[in-house]
Parts: sequence; C-alpha cells; structure tokens
Amino acid sequence: MQYRPDAAELLDAVASLLEDDVIAAVPAHLQHQVRVAANLCRILEREATVGPANDAAERGRLADVLGADDDRDLVSLRADLAEMLADPAPIDPALDRSIRDALLATLRADLAIAKPGYGATTGAP
Amino acid sequence: MTDRPNPDDALRDWLRATWQLGPDDHLHVGVVGQSTAGARRRNLVLEITGGPRPGRYVATVLPTADIAILSMVDEAAIRMLARDHGVPVPEVIGVSVDESVLGGQFFISEFIAGETIPRRLLRLVREHDIGARIVGQLGEAFARLHEIDPALAPAAIGAPPAPVGAALDAVSTVIDNLLQPEPAFSYALRWLREHRPTEPPQRRIVHADVRTGNIIVDHTGLRSILDWETAKVGDPMEDLAWVCTRMWRFGEDHFTVGGLGTVDQLRDAYVAAGGTWDEQRFHWWRVLVTMRWGTGLAGQAAMHLDGRFSSVVMAASGRRVAELAYDALTLIDAG
Repeated sequence: MQYRPDAAELLDAVASLLEDDVIAAVPAHLQHQVRVAANLCRILEREATVGPANDAAERGRLADVLGADDDRDLVSLRADLAEMLADPAPIDPALDRSIRDALLATLRADLAIAKPGYGATTGAP
Repeated sequence: MTDRPNPDDALRDWLRATWQLGPDDHLHVGVVGQSTAGARRRNLVLEITGGPRPGRYVATVLPTADIAILSMVDEAAIRMLARDHGVPVPEVIGVSVDESVLGGQFFISEFIAGETIPRRLLRLVREHDIGARIVGQLGEAFARLHEIDPALAPAAIGAPPAPVGAALDAVSTVIDNLLQPEPAFSYALRWLREHRPTEPPQRRIVHADVRTGNIIVDHTGLRSILDWETAKVGDPMEDLAWVCTRMWRFGEDHFTVGGLGTVDQLRDAYVAAGGTWDEQRFHWWRVLVTMRWGTGLAGQAAMHLDGRFSSVVMAASGRRVAELAYDALTLIDAG
C-alpha cells in the first residue's frame, strides 16, 4: 500500500494546481483544455473515493436482476445484460421495470462522480 | 503564409464583380470583427460602404470544402428558401464557390445584432422575461419551415426515404461497435426499436440543429436561426425534439425548451401556426436524439483512444456518456 497522500488526495493537489495557477498562466487557446483537465482530476478524485463501492453495488444489482451467481464479475454481468437487451425476445414487464431501475440507480451513482447534481433532476419535461 | 490578398481587398474586388460596379462606383469593405461560432466555419464581420447594399454583414467561410455537410451554395439556398417562407434567417446577399477569395467557399449574409452565447443569452432572457415569447417564436418558425414543399429544397440536401429507420440504424450501428457494452444504451435502443413509429406521413425540410447556441436573441425576442449546415428532408418532430434536449438548457432544467420555456408553449405555438404535432413521435425522437448525442460522445472517446483525435477534451467525453444515458432512461421512464 502506498504512503499518503492517497490517490484522491493527489488528484486534489493536481486539480488545485491546474485551477488556481495553470489556467491563468497558459495562452488562451489552452485554457479550455486545462479547465477540462482540472475537471477530470476532480472526477477521478471522486472516483477514487466512491468508485469501488459503486462498482460493488452495481455488481449486486445486476446479479440480482439477472439471477446470476454472486461470484460473477461486473464486466461479464454488464456484457450479459447488454446481450439480453439486444435480443429481441420479449422481456417480462416486471423484469423490464427492475432492469430499468437498476440501470438508473447505476447511472445516478456514475453521475455523482462524473457530474454531481445532474442525477438529482431529470431530463424529462 | 499565402500570397492571397487581405480579405478586405479580396472581398471588395469580388463584390465589385458580383455587383457589376463600374470603375467610378465607390465601394469599401472593412473586416471589423471575427468569430468562430462553429469548429468548421470562420465568420468575418464586414462593414460595406458604397455599392447597392451598404451596411454590416457577415461572411461565413468554410475553410475546406471536403468537410462540408452542405456546400455553401446549398446552405445559402436553403436559408433563402426558409426566409422566403417566414422563418427568421439573415438575408444572404452573395455566395461564392471561388475558394481563392477567402480561402474557402463563403456566403455573405446580413449582420443581426443580438446574443448567441448560451449563458449570456439565457441571462438576457431572464432579465427581460422573454423566454415564453422566444419559445412561441421558435414554435412558429418550425411550423413555417415544416410547411415548405420539400421539392423546393436543393437536390443535394440529405433526404433519406425513411428518416425514422435511418436514424435508428445509425444509432444502432454505433451501439454495436462500442468499446465496451453499455447496458443503459442497449436498454434505450431496445425501447427505440419496440416503440419505433411509422415513417412520417409527410417528410419535410428540417433544420436538425435549432437550439440555444444556434439562435440570435435580443431584448425583443428571437431574431434569427443560424447554422443551417445540417438541414435535410426528414421527420418534422426531430426538430421539435432536439431543441428540448437537456444539454441545450445550460442548467435551466425547469425550462425544457432550451432553458427558455416549456413544451406546452412550444406545442401551442407550433399548432397555432399550422404545424401538426404528434406527441408519440415527438417523445420517440426525444429519446432518439438523446441517444444519438450519447453515442456521439462515446465516439469522441474512441477517437481519442485510437489516435484519430487525441485530446483531453475528446477523452473527457467518455465521462459524459452517463449524462445522456441517464437523460434517455428518465425520458423513457416518464413516457
């Protein structure tokens, strides 16, 4: 295990440098890219903190809706679900509902990392 | 460096020839500003004195013809067609396919004062409380555009015989080729297939990119609809769906239509101006265009990773995919 600072703390340090000093110091045509880079550090900082727990929760939800064994990994569960959805065979409406709920729960968790606040409101009218 | 003359002189000479001015006729053209509204185009703000049409204009230059969605001649033609039918579009006073004048095809259109930059535009709208009026004007503009006989459109514009099927196939192809399975996209695609509407009873000219960012607004309301390079013949409901997409609200999420107003206001104005609104089709297109943008972001991430366009901005698009997947699923959920 690495000594402190941990990944999130280091990403915070890099983000602060980019936001507080680098943006103002680079030519105008690079400022947007630096701003994006700083935002990516903030995203990765949150991902380092809550990403593992999010992945575990997503794995649990998908194993649940797919009726899969508990030892299946997330990547293969996601592939299975995508394959099932691509198959035109009918899906029971109750299962369809639980799949959509599971996907929305995962997307809200992803958005809490990638764009905090976005998942709190909806794109619907 | 090129040996091209400076744009003022090149344009003056081109206008002199276009307007067939005599040697004694005074004409002066000054470039007084520049803006790069889109990645492809360059916009030069011109001040013309003398000649038959003195005033302020914009020269829109397409740097290289090979990346044009529409040629400048076709885009100018579609703009004028829309304008002639009552859609607010800046008047085009000249088109050139001669790339030697400004380094690319161009057209010259009247300069319309107002705000285009989304956050500033939305601030102006709030200050003057004109959001509902603008949404009404957009609804009316869409109705005017969609009532034009598509046979009048330039032959070169895209006109898929089955716009619903073509749009669905395009999204489907991208989803089949994602870098990794995205079950939320698969879910939305399944929904789009199961709820696929019939092809539109009437294919119409659609702009396909009307949104906050492609309109000019001043304190009196909507002044112009810009950027007609995506125009095609398709399903009118696509236009009405796209302007409601969440990214064009710039955080003003309580106003579904571009952060400006409500779907009810848009629908009422569209119908009052003679448009035929199909709620089911509108809803389907909202999910479709949201997914299309989501797959576009996934495509940008792929272009970064495979080296076609390595950039931190393109890389960051991968972390935006969840936004569009979430929007698509919440739309389906509300359906």
